[in-house]
Amino acid sequence: MEQRETFWRIVLLAPALLVFGVFVVWPLLDSFRYSFTDWNGFDPNYNLVGLDNFARIFRDPEFRNAILNTAIWIVAALLLPVLAGLGLALLLNTGVRGSRVFKSIFYLPICLAAVIVGQIWIWIYQPDWGLLNTAIEAVTGVRRFNFAWLAEPSSALGAVIVAWAWQQTGLAMVIFLAGLTAIPSDLLEAAAIDGVPRWRQTLHIVLPMLRPATVVVVALSVINALKGFDILYIMTGGGPFHSSNTLAFFMYEESFKKYRMGYGSAISVVLFLIALSIIVIYFRQLRKLGEIYD
Amino acid sequence: MKPWHLMKATLGATALVAPLMLGSASAEDAVSVSHYFTGELGQKGITEIFTEFTDKTGIAVADSPIGHEDFKTGILVRAAGNSLPDVFSYWAGARTQFVVDAGNIMDIGDMWSADKLDDVVAKSVADGATLYNGKRYLVPFGYHYAGMFYNPKVMTDAGITTMPKTWDDLLAACKTLKDKGIDPIALGSKNRWPAQFWFDYLLLRTAGPDYRAKLMSGAASYTDAEVKKAMGLWKDLVDAGCFAANSNANDWTDASDQVARGDAAMTLMGTWITGYWNGQGLQPGTDYDFFEFPMVAEGVPNAVVGPVDGWLIAANAKNAEGAKKLVAWLASDPAVQAKWAQIQGALSANVKVDASTYTPVMRRALKTVADADAFAFNYDLATPPPVAEVGLNMFAEFMNDSSNIDALMDKTQAAAADAFKQ
Amino acid sequence: MTDVTLDASRGSFRPGRAALFLSLVVLALLFLTPTLGVILSAFKTTRDIALGDLWSVPATLYLDNFVEVLTNPSVKTYFINTLLVTAPATASSIVLGILAGWVFAKLPFRGSETLFLVIVSGLFFPPQIILIPLFKLFNRLGLIDTLWPMIIVHTAMGIPICTLLMRNFFTAVPNALREAGLVDGANEWQVLTRIALPVSLPAIAVLATLQFTWIWNDFLWPLIFTQSDDVRTIMLGLVFLRGQYTVAWGVQGALALLASLPTLLVFLFFQRYFIRGLTMGAVKG
Repeated sequence: MEQRETFWRIVLLAPALLVFGVFVVWPLLDSFRYSFTDWNGFDPNYNLVGLDNFARIFRDPEFRNAILNTAIWIVAALLLPVLAGLGLALLLNTGVRGSRVFKSIFYLPICLAAVIVGQIWIWIYQPDWGLLNTAIEAVTGVRRFNFAWLAEPSSALGAVIVAWAWQQTGLAMVIFLAGLTAIPSDLLEAAAIDGVPRWRQTLHIVLPMLRPATVVVVALSVINALKGFDILYIMTGGGPFHSSNTLAFFMYEESFKKYRMGYGSAISVVLFLIALSIIVIYFRQLRKLGEIYD
Repeated sequence: MKPWHLMKATLGATALVAPLMLGSASAEDAVSVSHYFTGELGQKGITEIFTEFTDKTGIAVADSPIGHEDFKTGILVRAAGNSLPDVFSYWAGARTQFVVDAGNIMDIGDMWSADKLDDVVAKSVADGATLYNGKRYLVPFGYHYAGMFYNPKVMTDAGITTMPKTWDDLLAACKTLKDKGIDPIALGSKNRWPAQFWFDYLLLRTAGPDYRAKLMSGAASYTDAEVKKAMGLWKDLVDAGCFAANSNANDWTDASDQVARGDAAMTLMGTWITGYWNGQGLQPGTDYDFFEFPMVAEGVPNAVVGPVDGWLIAANAKNAEGAKKLVAWLASDPAVQAKWAQIQGALSANVKVDASTYTPVMRRALKTVADADAFAFNYDLATPPPVAEVGLNMFAEFMNDSSNIDALMDKTQAAAADAFKQ
Repeated sequence: MTDVTLDASRGSFRPGRAALFLSLVVLALLFLTPTLGVILSAFKTTRDIALGDLWSVPATLYLDNFVEVLTNPSVKTYFINTLLVTAPATASSIVLGILAGWVFAKLPFRGSETLFLVIVSGLFFPPQIILIPLFKLFNRLGLIDTLWPMIIVHTAMGIPICTLLMRNFFTAVPNALREAGLVDGANEWQVLTRIALPVSLPAIAVLATLQFTWIWNDFLWPLIFTQSDDVRTIMLGLVFLRGQYTVAWGVQGALALLASLPTLLVFLFFQRYFIRGLTMGAVKG
């Protein structure tokens, strides 16, 4: 019996492990190797520099800036798409007319490519004729309001995050909706019969039962925030002057624009360690909820 | 259909088409070429040019265009994988120096003399753009000149009939335009590089080409009085309200549109702006024109600024003979050169190109370059790429807040020194 | 009193419902606005957009952008290539995820939890890190400038999410079901394909939608692994519309609309499974 299980373990796991090992793990280790060198990407010759690249990371103000922005992005990722998605899911779960159409509308942005999402938001934020400033002018009556959302260091990151959140909300909504349909309806009916008002049902029955779905949404949101790249690349390129730089973008910039492959690898090692600690926390949380192994 | 049936079906279909997907490898003897001339006009033009080459010589060209911004990443990855295309477009100057130093590029000195390119390539760009470490590596394809492009109607309406020749003239013109409610100068520095021409010209017009060369190579410092003087003049212009608001929010095309619409009077930009405007139906000479960047200090040699697009051959090119034939032909055939210059709004690197194929504005640009004492590459092509990143960020930061030049220069020098060490 | 509450929501006049509906309509319109921008751009000339006239309803129906996109022979090639990458990569990453997920859920062994963590950690690094090693690898395999590298890499990069979701889903499948199958003489493979798979249809639908969308919209890997036009994908076609000194905004908008149709269709097709699928996957985290 045990022998047969071992056989099946090997047969079923091998393909995934093989593909994952050769095309993800190995390249990853190969690139980490460069973190101990001063390779510039072009030159076949390079030197071993020990831990210099790592020492440099902790002196580099741009790294501190990037890590702060990434943290902001992660926090925003936890708030914006997660809360908006939850709100929409709760509204749509009331059995409102046309909920299928609404679902599709809110999901639609995910279907669009990041290149296009970035471009359209550039046009929304455009200072002179962009939709946002035009709307602000119309509402407040201010004439010629031309704040440049993407060009001011104070607002650039936030403006990109809003665009990103717009695209991500639909995904969160769909997952929450799924979580909601899993809640036994007799539970809520019983509560209704007992005279518990709707908002208290939501707070005390629905939300706690949505916790597993929340874990999934939060995980996907954080992953996408850590990887936040495409939309940033299109909208601000990390600028103006690094003010919207994230770790992923910083790594790209050092490697591919400044030709510091060694340093870029060191940054990715650090990024990976940060990510790893987030996963460990995530799984510890899951285990506490009793969701790992029956 | 149930999803897993669908999946089985796709897997089956994949197995069927798999051989098709493998079969696309290009012919053995084709010259592989990669370039950044994508987009509507560039792509079409270059494809026609390559087709003509194949018809003439029987040598096939395997063309691999990559969008301008992604091209840098693409070439770096291919260089790192020791798999550069036989021929690829590149920017003359520090970028080419960088790949030459890494040993990736073929010395084409023999081809240069065999094909007598000395007789063909314009003197203004010949040596500076093609010679690296004393050897020939790059063949120029076309070049541009950065000048002050303006809307003649706006200028005339404001009563400005002679274009500024000196710095004081420029300041006066700014005041006149501002009083009329027109933004004197448009600048689209969202992608940073359009701001570099201001730094280039101000430094060249005050400290001169020799000092600038020192700064570009790391022999001078951004904290020097020369740099601070140039930045100070730029700041005077900013403080006088000469620049349209929100430079950092606009792309260079946005700035060009501002001038075309008449919201702004002028913009300091390369000659590719003529290609952009011609494409929108503007008439050279009547709807737009240019004047030279004004003189700032007496006795400083008159330099012009611009980029040179060229072709490089990989050191380990598989079809080196074909690659050399292609590159020599691209540079020396007058018809190809004329066609390409027209498509790009560029100046041809080939002196045999008939000047009558240019628009009147481009003819004047050509004369301006020919009359200049020196041709200098713009900032991001004049200094090594890692340093250029530092400087370009500085320009954007300056356009956002120009109040503290000293602090900005200290920071820039520290980062630049670090980047030079690399 | 409770009857009143229930009646209020079922009566003929339902002000609460109407308000809810209206607010959803407003939200949906707000949400649609950026998408509307894409649609508007597809019906305008590049010159109109350059001059700032994007956010207005066009007076005439300008279709040249679509004509230009549809008459471009490369666009058809791009679509076919993207499909040839997306369909097999989606399918194979899900298949591998199913197999591995089953082991992690039903056949745990010493160290399997750590191994699972290692695989899931694959979700967390930016893919730019492995550009160069992968290029070298595929170059050595002679696969550069074919569709294979994209299929393989998307399969490999999809394994973490597929394994994660499938494992969570299979944990919810009762052990008794598997044991009954084994007692009846079925082997592990038969239990998985005949008993577990049919009930995990929803999870597969979820993964199919997510993977299809992500792979379809990716442009990083094709950028690095393809060189000639006949193996390029639709996203590259879209990105490369930006020239050195020009961008054809209107054409880009039209192509973007067409390029997002397949992902939308996939969502609509899988939607009914999707909602159920996430339910069961989500229950187990």
